Amino acid sequence: MFKDLDPILHSQLRLAVISLLISVKEAEFTYLKEKTNSTAGNLSVQIQKLKEVGYIDVTKQFKDNYPQTICKITHAGIRAFEQYVKDLQTYLGKSTRA
Amino acid sequence: MKEERFSPEQSLQLIQSMISKTREAMSDNSIYFLVWGWITFIACISQFMLKHVYDYEKHYLVWLLTIVGIAFSIYQGRKEEKAIKVRTYVDESMKQLWGGMAISFFVLSMILTKLGWGTAIFPFFILLYGLGTFVSGSIIRFRPLIFGGLIAWVLAVASTFVNYDYQMLFGAAAILISYIIPAHLLRIKKEKAEVNV
Repeated sequence: MFKDLDPILHSQLRLAVISLLISVKEAEFTYLKEKTNSTAGNLSVQIQKLKEVGYIDVTKQFKDNYPQTICKITHAGIRAFEQYVKDLQTYLGKSTRA
Repeated sequence: MKEERFSPEQSLQLIQSMISKTREAMSDNSIYFLVWGWITFIACISQFMLKHVYDYEKHYLVWLLTIVGIAFSIYQGRKEEKAIKVRTYVDESMKQLWGGMAISFFVLSMILTKLGWGTAIFPFFILLYGLGTFVSGSIIRFRPLIFGGLIAWVLAVASTFVNYDYQMLFGAAAILISYIIPAHLLRIKKEKAEVNV
């Protein structure tokens, strides 16, 4: 039924991460973990997937001797998110008409 | 959050809830407005007193107070940098705007040092304050700052009708209306929002 929706984004945690990143310049891993209420392990895996398809950029750095992971949405990520929302609207439009 | 299939309706709800969470992320800038507002307000009033009432020659030395503001901004900026987990476009724009404003104030001081501080300093400074608060108010959608900016522009023109000494009082009035009052209102709004969360 949902075969047209981007399978990368049609997953709760990945969609949550992209939705958070769409409205900010960049966010730390810990911020995403806190807001999505997810486990570090699961979040790492989903962030890796989003990075592999080029939807987000991930930078690792050190701040006060602590490792820090910073995530930022890419242009491809923004386009994919916009397309996903459009597809979603089409689905919802169909279901309300039916 | 589990990995499972979910409906388009749930998708939409998830997007909305995440986007609304990032709205809370906007940091509270009112502390900078308050510190800078009070420093420049005190400096204007003190300069007026020293020059007009006590006839002190080096009345302009009160502006050394801005060093306190610079020290505070650097300290506070570093402290926030350590705690920061997310950077919003609003925070970024505010930082760029006030960084640019600081440079503009510095450049204006250099221009007026060359041309003579005599008549025009306060109208120009009030003009710049007006720009800074008007744009800040527009970025964070806070009306008292927008109105403060508009009033500052009116005061900038009005201050050209009085002599140099009284321009200082216009400067103080502009800071009170465009900085200090909106900053206190912003604080109250923020505190109320925190209570309601």
